[in-house]
Amino acid sequence: MSVGALGVTMNVPTLVTLALVLAYPIFYAAYLSFHKVALADLRRGIFPFVGLDNYARILTDPLFLLALKNTLVFTAFSVTVEIVLAVAIALLVAETHVWTGRITKVLILLPYAVPPIANGLIWAFLYSFDFGFLNRILFTLGLIREPINWVGDPNTAIFMLAVPYIWRTLPFAILLVHAALQGMNPELFEAAAIDGAGPLHRFRHVTLPLLRPVIVVILVLRTSFAFTVFEEVLAITQGGPGDATWVAAWYSYKRSFAPPFDIGIGSASAYVLALIVGALAIVYVKAIYRRIE
Amino acid sequence: MAQRPAGWNTLGRRDLLKSFGAAAALGAVGASGRSWAAGNPWADAPVSKVDRLNFVVWTYGDIYTKISKKFTDDWGIPVDSTISSFNDHPTKLMTMFAGNETIDVSQSSPFSFPNFISQGLAEPLDGFPGAQDYLKDFTESAKQVAVYDGKLMGLPYFSTVWVWNYNSELMEKAKIQPFKTYDELLEQCRKAKKDGVCEYPIMWVAGVGLEQLPGTWYQMTWNRGGVFFDKAGNHQLGPGSIARETLKWWAQTFADQLVDPDSLKYQFTASAKAFGAGKNLYRGPNHHYGLNIANDPAQSPSAGKVQVMGSPGDGRTIGDTHVYFLCSATRNKEWAWKLLQYLGGRTKDGQYTQANNLARDAMLGSGFQSVMKSSVITDGWKPWGDPGKILEIWDKATYVGEICNSIYKPWHFPWTDRLNIEVQKALTAQITPDQCCDNLIAAIKEVQKT
Repeated sequence: MSVGALGVTMNVPTLVTLALVLAYPIFYAAYLSFHKVALADLRRGIFPFVGLDNYARILTDPLFLLALKNTLVFTAFSVTVEIVLAVAIALLVAETHVWTGRITKVLILLPYAVPPIANGLIWAFLYSFDFGFLNRILFTLGLIREPINWVGDPNTAIFMLAVPYIWRTLPFAILLVHAALQGMNPELFEAAAIDGAGPLHRFRHVTLPLLRPVIVVILVLRTSFAFTVFEEVLAITQGGPGDATWVAAWYSYKRSFAPPFDIGIGSASAYVLALIVGALAIVYVKAIYRRIE
Repeated sequence: MAQRPAGWNTLGRRDLLKSFGAAAALGAVGASGRSWAAGNPWADAPVSKVDRLNFVVWTYGDIYTKISKKFTDDWGIPVDSTISSFNDHPTKLMTMFAGNETIDVSQSSPFSFPNFISQGLAEPLDGFPGAQDYLKDFTESAKQVAVYDGKLMGLPYFSTVWVWNYNSELMEKAKIQPFKTYDELLEQCRKAKKDGVCEYPIMWVAGVGLEQLPGTWYQMTWNRGGVFFDKAGNHQLGPGSIARETLKWWAQTFADQLVDPDSLKYQFTASAKAFGAGKNLYRGPNHHYGLNIANDPAQSPSAGKVQVMGSPGDGRTIGDTHVYFLCSATRNKEWAWKLLQYLGGRTKDGQYTQANNLARDAMLGSGFQSVMKSSVITDGWKPWGDPGKILEIWDKATYVGEICNSIYKPWHFPWTDRLNIEVQKALTAQITPDQCCDNLIAAIKEVQKT
């Protein structure tokens, strides 16, 4: 067997697996998005072709457009905060002079091990107006005189919802930045120091440029994941108060898996979401790599 | 559209009291006077054979463990159960159905049932042995939910009526009596807040749902004499409508900061537990059986202090019945009917075992007249509340479908989504109640396109 044929043979199991677990649902969802289909119709296998009707319906649905806007706000806020915190925390834990660095590295990983829905439930308890730990701690410390309705204010609910999400996903970004920092040549920093560059200058002119590739990776990955945020919405706000935390994935879920179970509409909305994420990823990569080059 | 007979208050309080004696006399032979011994439909084994059966339901204590065991003990057939939370149940059921799984029996709220029927999930029950006897024993509320297009489609799980709760200890502290008018309620709450009796006197069950926030608005609108749609299906939300004025009053309670801020998240059980903490004077109208949590010493520091009261004016309120149904995805209709009866009808011994247990263990009402007339209710509810008072309110209840008949329409769900959103926006002052109602009127046309 030639090397080429062997390569193809070795890849077949992976290709088949990916085709089954990824490609099939993706193409089936695309197929459903062009049909009028309620969940129960899947059992009967009979649903009429409606062309682009489902797409036309969601793109004229004010609730879908609002959900998209909320998703953009959520994503912009959570990804920005995540990157800033990830760089800051990674720089701290990379500091070899601090003896607690190793313990911190382990502790930082803990939130990443928490299942998303469990994370949502934990924060729902923390945020509770009447019985939440957050209000109790702040009250005990004398920092507040009245309990705060953390996710009850429609103007701030989307940002409060981002906090548990950031708490859960931040370790991933920290790990990537930390790994990039470990791979940097220390001589670059020594040379910059000899040339009189202070810590801030070294960070701005040496560290940050070297971190750009990994920041691109974080931006692309975290943006695509933030666009599909769901569990925290389900556990903490259920889209409320009002429509303040209706995000795109919540819209798709409600249309598909709540009465009247219109999975055609749900699939179409999921596809619009996927197209937006794909387009954003291309823009990120092109814009940031152009600057690197 | 389901057949909608006259209000379910045709079974009066006096009728109930008169019937207690008769029911006791009939006790030995069964409520209708017939003998429920072997030979009756519920006691006969179907000719066909099955290895096992299953049901898909939402969680409620350990009632399903007990009834499954009884079925297996009586018939030697194991019963599997798939149990999810109330809000997740429609999703669980529909995804199982879509996934080609076998489902013998399931259950539904009155809000989801028309949708399940129109999607072909429920089998008509008219031809099954004993079905007509059950129908004769249904309360009006049970009939309005379980009979659809003239066909019997389900057996009752439980019935409930919407009541107010108050904390008697805080009432004493505030030196006030249960309110008689909505204006008086506002005055009392303002005074209680000013006097430092409680920071947030009212707790509403206003979390997002098919029944929670919408039900609170339905109940208060109906109590003031209004409806959401007339018999012809025309909305009743225009300027000056009772629903609109009710919303204005409701929003005022939020604007005056009289409302527990967690109200917009509360579902029925969570609110009963929170009310048990003793921080609020009143708990807004909702299912009567929350008392079995709020007055349970194991779950509530306020046990014994939570009282039930009716609504202002003539006291009219709403009620509804949840049902079990035989799923079209069953493996065997005869045996599924047998299992369905264990959940929503009679067991092999001819008793309404499940309905009786639900009354005794969970304070639930029944969709069967004979159970509602029996001492199971008057004795069973006593540990948590005043059965006489609740039955008095029961007499003034009308099925919720009379107030909002869109529940029979497929667009009711997307419209309720909008209702939850728009009303929460009105209650949090993002929009005015007038804008909310205008948006909901516009939304009717939008969702009807779906």
